[in-house]
Amino acid sequence: MNIETIQEYLPIILKGFWITVHLFLWSLLFSTVGGFILALMRLSPIATFRWISAVIGWLFRGIPLLLLLFYAFFALPAISRSLMFEPFWAAVLGLSIWTAAYQSEAIRSGIISVEKGQIEASETLGMTKRYYMRRIIIPQSIRIMIPPFIGNAINTMKQTSLAAVITVPEMTLLARQIISEDFKVAEPLLALASIYLLLTTILLMAQQGLERIFRLKV
Amino acid sequence: MDSWDWSIIQRTWPLMRDATWVTINLFAWSLVLATGLGFVLALMRMSSISCLRWLSTLYVLIFRGLPALIILFFAYFWVGRNLSLSPFQSGVVGLSVAAGAYKAEIIRAGLLAVGRGQYEASEALGLSRAHQMRRIIIPQGVRVMIPNYMSNATLLLKSTSLASVIGITELTGLSRQLANSTFKPIEILTAAGLIYLALTTVLTVSQEILERRFSLKT
Repeated sequence: MNIETIQEYLPIILKGFWITVHLFLWSLLFSTVGGFILALMRLSPIATFRWISAVIGWLFRGIPLLLLLFYAFFALPAISRSLMFEPFWAAVLGLSIWTAAYQSEAIRSGIISVEKGQIEASETLGMTKRYYMRRIIIPQSIRIMIPPFIGNAINTMKQTSLAAVITVPEMTLLARQIISEDFKVAEPLLALASIYLLLTTILLMAQQGLERIFRLKV
Repeated sequence: MDSWDWSIIQRTWPLMRDATWVTINLFAWSLVLATGLGFVLALMRMSSISCLRWLSTLYVLIFRGLPALIILFFAYFWVGRNLSLSPFQSGVVGLSVAAGAYKAEIIRAGLLAVGRGQYEASEALGLSRAHQMRRIIIPQGVRVMIPNYMSNATLLLKSTSLASVIGITELTGLSRQLANSTFKPIEILTAAGLIYLALTTVLTVSQEILERRFSLKT
């Protein structure tokens, strides 16, 4: 093993860098929206909504992501031709649903941790539920959500590596190809590992930055 | 859409059952090793020797920052081939090394949650550090650890599915093969999902039982 070979492999693996980043960002976007809807359903006064949200959470947190990806890639096209996605979008679909199940818990715990007095006060002031959720409760809950939300996001970023298994040419797949073509193991894997470590470090720094921005100014 | 053919589950059941045992074995071995490793790392992190603290921090930082899939590649292609381990053994090594980093943080948090007074009181009673840990701190720390420990164990159970990527025929790997060879991906993958749900539900239930058993009797 030598450093020069690592340097030689780095640009090859970096060709998959943007695919990894795109996988991550699309999944983060969809899972945040999905998680938000699931969290609001879970807190809804309508029992059916609460129930549906709880079942979805139990279902997708109980199944390995890899199996979900196989489902999106192999089973959905078998159900209907119109459900045949490109590998990239099948991966985004699997990652988004899986992450949404976790994000809904992060978002829900943030919302319920806002004091009851805040809701009572906004009701006393004659605000509608929609208005006080948007202007009073959610802005305060974001501060509490940040750590678990970013924690889930970091997990999702790492799990984009599974897209390699359904043939998305992201970084892990490219490293895997080097291993089988060049019979080199440590060098491509170390190059790959260093990129992932860099990405997780960036996300951890983003978390600290967000925590500082949303900190209570007293 | 073709009509669904559930008899395929009946025909493939012996294979599915064996693969489920491989999954359970992978999980059990990795859980034991990861717990041992996490425990050592937690004690290192709390040690008075700065070099040990530093090593433990670095370990957790690196292995929590890497996708489990990459750690499995290292374990299989690099460690496994150099030490000529079987795929199953490499899988256990990779999963334990990855999960150990998470277990370390959970165990440390549990031990730190025990009140300072307990440490001081046991020192005042003249207990040695080993004795104090074993009889006073750890029994109390375990109660605090259970929820996080068990939810992490559920994650570990699900990440055993990654072992399929290094050629172990556990539940996910087998389902993928069967989905391709029988052309019945929906039925096979759904059955596998149900087995995983059953296994994760068993873990959730045992978490509740453990919490009740270790709850303070006041």
